[in-house]
Amino acid sequence: MGTGVQTPAMDAYRPQAPFLDELFEDDGTPRPTARALVEELRRLGPEGLMEAGRRRDAIFMQQGITFETKGADDGEGATKERPFPLDLVPRVLSGQEWRDIKRGLAQRIRALNHFVDDVYHAREIVREGLVPWRLVASCPHFARAVHGIRPPGGVYTHVAGCDLVRHSDGTWKVIEDNVRIPSGISYVLENRAAMARLVPELFASYRVRPVDHYPQLLLSALRSVAPSAESEATVVVWTPGPANPAYFEHAFLARQMGVELVEASDLVVRDDVLYMRTTRGLERAHAVYRRLDDDFVDPLEFRPDSLLGVPGLIRAYRAGSVAIANAFGTGVADDKAVYCFVPDMIRFYLGEEPILENVKTYLLSDPEVLAHVLDHLDQLVVKPTGESGGKGVMIGPHADEVELQRMRRVISTHPDRWIAQDVVRLSTVPTVGPDAVLQPRHVDLRPFAVFGERIDIVPGGLTRVALEDGSLIVNSSRGGGSKDTWVLEDGDDADRAGAGGYPMSDTQPPALPDLRYGAWTGQQQQQQQAPQQQQQAAPERPGGRHRRRPRATPGARPR
Amino acid sequence: MLARIAHELYWLGRNLARAEFTARAVEAVFQAELQGTSETTPGVSFGSGGLLAMFGDVSEEPIRPRNGRALGQLTLDAERPGSMLASIERAREGARTVRDVISAEMWEAINTTALGLRGGGPGWAGVRSTAPAGPSLASQYVKERTALIWGVANRSMLRDEAKCFLDAGGLIEISDMVLRMLRVALPASDSAPADGHALILLQAVGGFHAYLRAVTAPPNARPVARFLLFERAYPDSVAACVDSLHEVFTSADAGPRNSKPVLRVSRLAADLDFQRRALPDGAELTGICEQTQQELARIDQDVAERYFAGAAAAGLRR
Repeated sequence: MGTGVQTPAMDAYRPQAPFLDELFEDDGTPRPTARALVEELRRLGPEGLMEAGRRRDAIFMQQGITFETKGADDGEGATKERPFPLDLVPRVLSGQEWRDIKRGLAQRIRALNHFVDDVYHAREIVREGLVPWRLVASCPHFARAVHGIRPPGGVYTHVAGCDLVRHSDGTWKVIEDNVRIPSGISYVLENRAAMARLVPELFASYRVRPVDHYPQLLLSALRSVAPSAESEATVVVWTPGPANPAYFEHAFLARQMGVELVEASDLVVRDDVLYMRTTRGLERAHAVYRRLDDDFVDPLEFRPDSLLGVPGLIRAYRAGSVAIANAFGTGVADDKAVYCFVPDMIRFYLGEEPILENVKTYLLSDPEVLAHVLDHLDQLVVKPTGESGGKGVMIGPHADEVELQRMRRVISTHPDRWIAQDVVRLSTVPTVGPDAVLQPRHVDLRPFAVFGERIDIVPGGLTRVALEDGSLIVNSSRGGGSKDTWVLEDGDDADRAGAGGYPMSDTQPPALPDLRYGAWTGQQQQQQQAPQQQQQAAPERPGGRHRRRPRATPGARPR
Repeated sequence: MLARIAHELYWLGRNLARAEFTARAVEAVFQAELQGTSETTPGVSFGSGGLLAMFGDVSEEPIRPRNGRALGQLTLDAERPGSMLASIERAREGARTVRDVISAEMWEAINTTALGLRGGGPGWAGVRSTAPAGPSLASQYVKERTALIWGVANRSMLRDEAKCFLDAGGLIEISDMVLRMLRVALPASDSAPADGHALILLQAVGGFHAYLRAVTAPPNARPVARFLLFERAYPDSVAACVDSLHEVFTSADAGPRNSKPVLRVSRLAADLDFQRRALPDGAELTGICEQTQQELARIDQDVAERYFAGAAAAGLRR
């Protein structure tokens, strides 16, 4: 592999069979949609990428777009702030691909929402024998306290983020649902802004669909569910506090939506109504976008030792005086064991066939399945059901014998706390390595959906990338990075925002022939034109040539 | 707006003003001590010892002149709560908490200031590689950056309650700092060098030029103190700050006519105006400084009670 200075970084790039590479065919030629992008990357070269990388880190540090890492693995040592790892090579999705994903996600989220409603009301899916009640009730996020409460509009999963992966045969599969408090949307927006600032040349040949309307989507969804009869609803974002790792996102969303960012100490419930403490006394809050777990929200109903909660909040919620997004108890729908049943839910509630597939998953409560899994542990991925963020995940093919043995013991003691899944061959996208050489790295995709009066999904989403060679773990808490995700405009999407309009660059601004460049340039020209205008008393020629340079008359213009 | 946010903004303003004032004072004292004291005009003494006393930081060992350590403590010693670095770091923490209220540009300005003063971090190369060395450069840096931060705030923030509380914090801090300095530097009684050379005081607040244009008397202790207390045209004088305080509280308060802090500030402003007119030129001012400072402390308390009452509980989480 020649990686000399004059050799462009792209030429040495080869996709790693059997994984699908999203920018290159197997023989190393760029895919049709990626051709212009690859050309621009080649022109940028390793130096260009290095330089842009340095600028990116400086900008992120200045803007405080950082995350904190511990000095050592065991949590010892000082925490260090690092710039958020954004890779400079974007991921490109065609308009057609995106439409399929979007339809599939909307279908899935609708079904999950039905499921949450069902679990806390009639439990029809359980009576039908499709989902075992034992499984639902044993789920750690099942919330008895909210049984029988139906939120305004019947929406529970206002914000959802499903993790998708692309298999080597090109199909998209859902690997995980997040309907509690999915995070990462702020990085989608910040990544796009940073890319446009750092490497504008990459955008040159593409029309990329914008993402920056997400905060407005969220705000209008929250307003639409807020129980406020007379006036504009007051929406707030509730954060556990600045010590939370996702605090940046909480503040980002509050600022982008123009609403207050509150902590527990700002909120108080009086007579089943939620208020916030302001400089002018108590003011009512109608809708709360909460960014902390069920367990902590109300010490009277959930964990009594929670200092982050607001006593009485569940009562206010039950009284219907406040909307909470996402609703309490939604965690029951993104449990890793419940995940297996989502295709059944789609068929049961919607009467449709699932558009997006699940990854093949084994529930270990069945002794036969358990025996099979224990035998094939080195070919499977095992995950704890109650965790998120990639914690406790073991990837069979990457584990050594000691680890496999330990896992066998752990699983056999508590089979219901674990699930096993087939290893998914995550697709790869070229990623800038430390020496500015492009290398294939595995990626997943987390699109973000907002469910208010309808379901809106921001084009693209957060692409997470494993920065280690061969690694399949993309979580940023475990050394993953991210990529800007481009969904290409192909003028064929009926339900996009502002449907029927033309893209901005295609419209002509109205001509303003009577408006001339005034001020400083005008002043100079006026002096130069003065004698000329006196000679030439003819009227202005209409239209078109209003940027005409003054014709040089002898003596009027110094040479 | 939220009581907690108002409280954070108020302290953000205070911390920024404190860092800026410290920077000015440190630079002036550093320059003065390098040159030694002039024998012919003894004047008021305001050196690194006085500076530390001003911050309530009384050290056991006597401080020798030209001892750089005292000044070092006030610049980049993160352990000292009175140092510029500590003030800036506190401001950054506060700004992080109210990041959704202040503009992105302003947060960036504050964040960059803290990072630059700290001397960088990962990914910081190329912006500023090392922390500014020595009190003089560090002071210069803080002065420039705080000017930038206030400038950005003035251009980018909506003139709403948020800006009022930010400004209020800054104003109350400036007047408090000026009063502390006067109380430390002015001789308590009418004893011998009561009215000496006081250039250093003007340099320490950056008001030398303004003084020269406003007052004809030589920069001796009495006229300088008078200038710093009463001169309404000079924005960092106590009277000017109190006037502005009255303005911001009036616009921030829902019912200023029966609001305790507004009434108290208004009384203080009137009182300062009265003193300025009633006192003869050479009068002794230490008593007024003390009273004014105590009154400001009461205003601070009233503000906390009236506007930040909800924030008291927030203290629990720290």
